[in-house]
Amino acid sequence: MEVLVADLRKGGLTEHSLREGIAKIVAGNNFCQDLLYLHGRSTSLSAELLGMSLIEGGKEVALGSDPEEWPYKSVLDAIKDGWRVISLPSMSLLTMSDDEFHGLGFQFVLERWS
Amino acid sequence: MNFMDWVFNLYSNVGVEVMDQLNNKIYDCEPTLSDSQVLDFCKNGYLLLKDVVPSEINSRVMEFMERDTHYEPTGILDEDWFIKGVILNEQVAGVVRSLLGANFHIPILMSNHQVIGPYSATGGWHVDGNYNWNPELNYLQVFYYPQDTPLEVGPTEVLPGSHLIRNKARFMGHLNAIRGAVPTVSPAGSIFLTVYQIWHRRGRATVPVLRNMLKYVYWRMSPPQRDWVIEPDFDFSSVSYGGSAEAFAEQFRGDCKTAEMFLWLCGKHDVYQNLGGQSWPLPALRNDTPYGYPAGLDS
Repeated sequence: MEVLVADLRKGGLTEHSLREGIAKIVAGNNFCQDLLYLHGRSTSLSAELLGMSLIEGGKEVALGSDPEEWPYKSVLDAIKDGWRVISLPSMSLLTMSDDEFHGLGFQFVLERWS
Repeated sequence: MNFMDWVFNLYSNVGVEVMDQLNNKIYDCEPTLSDSQVLDFCKNGYLLLKDVVPSEINSRVMEFMERDTHYEPTGILDEDWFIKGVILNEQVAGVVRSLLGANFHIPILMSNHQVIGPYSATGGWHVDGNYNWNPELNYLQVFYYPQDTPLEVGPTEVLPGSHLIRNKARFMGHLNAIRGAVPTVSPAGSIFLTVYQIWHRRGRATVPVLRNMLKYVYWRMSPPQRDWVIEPDFDFSSVSYGGSAEAFAEQFRGDCKTAEMFLWLCGKHDVYQNLGGQSWPLPALRNDTPYGYPAGLDS
């Protein structure tokens, strides 16, 4: 990146060197997608969490069953910490019987790169 | 050992009365759970009995499992000391009798979930296959720890109330930490009984210990009826049916599910009803019989 900026300032940046530089930057980044599943008590972003699964660096992180030990108290907490929501709870559950309930709350899936 | 030898051994060790009952692997005894305790089982979906099997029986089980490392060591059910000390253990049998009624059937299949720690991965949340999501309780899934099983050894975790929450094992693979989950940390000789479809998983183990956990099933042979220990002042109309499932469902739906299961166990499922609104079985401080209270419950 610094090389590209220097070229730009010198007026030597070309389409070819820009493409080549960006390609090198992308190839040098070994980013890994982290995933965070949050199961809210309702569709509200600030709802209490019923469950949590965290995958960081390609590994599942061990979490205790005590919610006080969980890194986030709500979906909003996670968003404030840099997580991006990539999946919202499925409203198709509303089409099920009124008398039955299914699954673990309302699932939000979030991501970030590490 | 053939069946007649098994019966003979049982006759010699547990006496005529028990032997007579067990000719067809049927057993009966006095129920031990009260109305409130049966209702609690309906709310939670499990009951943990700590330290009920004598230590000498636990030791024999551990020795047996060293010899028989098959994941289904069903041969242990041919051992009269095991039948007497574990399967027909007085405290366990009293609970089974309370929940499955008179002349229940004893297990004919034994599984051993033997694992060696340490391992960082849990067993993954699941419900066992061939479940039925309904209010009936026709069989009990039972887990027995013949050895001390502290948190470090990876005891099974259960989610109280989850027997009322429909799910499919293949949709649970990504679940990890769940609010309210309980690790069944237990001393040797502990047994816990569950509704078959309760959500559970093997815990994470952090020490190099071989864990044995025996798992088996009793089943019902007679129609459900309220023939456990009756509490004279138990009031179907005002008792709270709310339980652990509340956190996972629409408001009061857990109460309704629990009440329906409890009435099924009472043999009164035909009168169960939920008329909606503030009707029974919703909890409330009322000054009269609740709207929708089923006729015939108090008889």
